[in-house]
Order: sequence, then structure tokens, then C-alpha cells
Amino acid sequence: MKSVKYLIIGGGVAGTTAAETLRGLDVSASIAIVSDEPYRLYSRIMLSKPNFFLQKIPFEQIWLKTESWYKEKNIELISGVTANALDAKAKNVTLSSGEVITYEKLLLAVGGRVRIWDLKIPEAGVFYLRTLDDAKAIIAAVPNAKQALSIGGGFVSFEMCDMLRLANLEVSLILREAHYWSPMLDEASGKIIERALEKGGVKIYRNAEVASVLGEKMVDGAILKDGTRLACQMIIAGIGLSCPTDWLKNAGVAVNHGILANEYLETNMPDVWAAGDAAEFRDVILDEQIQLGNWVNAQMHGRAAAFNMTGKHDPFKLVSFYTTQGFGITIAFVGDSRPLPERTVIPRGSADAGSYGRIIVKDGKVFGATLINRTNELGLISKMIEKNVNVAGREQDLGNASFDLKTLIV
Amino acid sequence: MANEENRIKKVTVNRDLCIGAASCVVAAADYFALDGENKAVIKEGGTANDETLMLAAQSCPTKAIFLFDGEGKQMYP
Repeated sequence: MKSVKYLIIGGGVAGTTAAETLRGLDVSASIAIVSDEPYRLYSRIMLSKPNFFLQKIPFEQIWLKTESWYKEKNIELISGVTANALDAKAKNVTLSSGEVITYEKLLLAVGGRVRIWDLKIPEAGVFYLRTLDDAKAIIAAVPNAKQALSIGGGFVSFEMCDMLRLANLEVSLILREAHYWSPMLDEASGKIIERALEKGGVKIYRNAEVASVLGEKMVDGAILKDGTRLACQMIIAGIGLSCPTDWLKNAGVAVNHGILANEYLETNMPDVWAAGDAAEFRDVILDEQIQLGNWVNAQMHGRAAAFNMTGKHDPFKLVSFYTTQGFGITIAFVGDSRPLPERTVIPRGSADAGSYGRIIVKDGKVFGATLINRTNELGLISKMIEKNVNVAGREQDLGNASFDLKTLIV
Repeated sequence: MANEENRIKKVTVNRDLCIGAASCVVAAADYFALDGENKAVIKEGGTANDETLMLAAQSCPTKAIFLFDGEGKQMYP
């Protein structure tokens, strides 16, 4: 039976950053990464970027580590296999290959999986975007398609619409909601994005859902629930992510939407940590249990978990954010920007002028923000959240677009 | 050792590669910021030591940050 000191499940940015950090802290320990993808670390965040898709950036740029890096660092990469079972008492993990690996410390950086459509679909023409293989399939299909549907109102869908338009396809965007990114964004913000999409040639169907997909072997159209028939040769379905946690639940690991972890990224089981998109962790800045799916969070989780796995006891602290740009606009989400009932949303700037932010406040404390064409305020707002700046009574200033937020940070 | 800590003499960001993931802003908040086009820029009067700059460059998911030594030799990527 193979035995390692540090076993990491997941070869994405959280798992690989953890391995690299562990190696820096412990030069001789045995470290192994189990990845269900057949690849070394690549830039998942780049997969949805139009410049990558249209090969304006060389494909090779996707690789973040060389083959030889793993050897040089003496990190074993076991790729193309899944972790199927955990025995947290005996401290071992059983892989889909049948191999059993025992560990001293385990990191669960398993990431998310795309939600698969429950509709009957033809063999080819429906795509998801999560892995490098998914991206390769879309790249191969784009030159042979004239019309495409993009489903869902999130970052990936926005970037896919951009890519498909730049590749000169006719694009229809299907939104289940009444406006883009509802309910995370208000109508005014959603409308700015929709205006940009429409100006860029995307046809938007709101309050809409695909009822059936047409085509025998290849997709050749779709029918919406209201009966609208759309011709298309490809459909990109961005209908959400989930985390595969059943095997962990069976082992007694506490899970909710994700794997539950405290501020040290420890799970309820001894010597088992969680990091990345799959970790639902205690955020000490927001004082909430949250789960985030973004690159920077995953990367910094990997680093923090590694430190704590070697015996440090430092809480994870990061104001997380995610940004994108396309169709001539920039969009950023900072911190926890959910407009929950007990929170106040302070609008900043003008939706009509297309430069519009929303600062989310509760009890005199900034929790998060959404920024459209105001990315340059991202750093300042992050700092306000991080430093716990008291904004009670300053609501008018926050809402005044020409007020310099810097003056609130001492 | 003092010499080694101050080897990075020039830092550039390739704007075609930069996607505004802002991992550099997290790693070196006193040195990098995002501009209005969502691209990383070097702050006016920004400061960071070599270790921080290397960490920031290594954290970039598109390898858009280039580090050079005093002789103009590329140190990263």
C-alpha cells in the first residue's frame, strides 16, 4: 500500500498551490496529488476567455506547470483517476484505479462539476465548460457552426457570448430570469450588461427556458418553453456547478453545499482540510460560512491550507473578487455581494451613463460590491471590507460617485 | 543576501495576456492595481520586495507579468 505524508485530492490551482507551498515548507516530505483530469495544472480561468478560444493567445499558454516541474519538486501527480472512498479513521483514500493510498494529512481540493442537463439531447452539439477537454471540444465545434445558443446568466455565459460573436456566429442568450444575473445584480446593472450584449449582436430571450433540443445525432435547433423555435448547431449550457461530496459524506465529513471547513480550512475530521471551490469555509472578515468559485480564492486557499497542514494555525483571510470584461464593459464582484434582506444596497454612479456600482452594507460595515465599468474602485472597496471600515452615517458619500472612497480608509 | 533580495529591476505587464484576475493585486497590493479597462497596472510609487513580486508574477493565471534583472535578463516566466 502506498503511503504519503501529504495527500491532495484535486490537481487544480488550489491543490497544486498547496503542493507547491508544502514543498517550500517541508523539503523532504512525500507529497502526492490525485487529479481526475489527465493533465498537469492548467489555467482554468483562461478556458472561457475569448482570446484563448480564438487562439489569439498560443494554446501552450494554458499550461501553468511544465511536465518536469512535478519531478523537480518531487511531487507525484496521479492523473486521470478519481478518489472514490475515504476512510478517515484508517487514514486512507481508495482511487478509481483500485489503488489505496494512506496519508498523514489530507487536503480535499476537489473543485466543482458542471451540472448536466436532464433534457434528452443529441450525441453532439451540446457543450459544457469546466475542463480543458470541454474547451477543446468547443474550439473544434465553433468553425463548423453558424448559430449558437448560450444558456445561463453568469460569467462563463457572458464570456462565451463574447467569444462566439468574435467568431462571427449568430448568438442567442437564454436567460431563465427577467434580467441578466438576477438576483445577484439588480435590474439596472443587469440592463447595462444586456445593452452591451445586444449592441454586440447577441439576441436575448428573458424568462425563457429550453423545452427540447432538436436533432438526431447533431444539434440543429431548440424549442423554448413558449414555443419559440431557434436554429442552432451548438449549445453551451452554463446551468450551474455542484460539488461531488457523496463519497465524503459516507466517510463522516460534514458537508452542506460544499465541504464544511472552519477558518483554518479544517474539516470536522482530524487531519483533513478543504480548499478551493468545494470548500464552504468560515470567512473571518465577513463572519459568515461561504463557498466561492473563483481563481484567487482557490489559489490563496491552497496556500493557507498548506501552512496549516504543516502545523501553523493561521485563519484564512481574503477579500475575494472576480472580474471580467467583454462587449466594451467591465464587471466585478467583490466580497459577498449577495443582496440579502437585512442588507442595504447603496447605488453608486449612474446606470444610464453605464458606470454603476452597488455597495452592500449591513450594520455600518461593507460586505461586498458589484461594479460595472468601475473596476478601478475594486482595490479600495476590498480594503474597506478587509479593514472593517465603519461606514455608518456615510451612506451618502458611498452613493456619491465623485466622492473619493480613499478618504474613508485611514 | 541583501543583493539577492533586490535583483528585480524591471516589471512589465503584457496587456494582451492580462485578464484582470487580479491575483497580483492580492499578492502585492502596494504594487499592482487594476485600471479602468480591468488590466493590471503598476501603481505610481508602488513598492514590493523581490519575494512579493515573484509570488505575484507566479500567481498570475495567464503569466502576463514579466520580471527582469538589472541586465535586462528575464527572470520570470
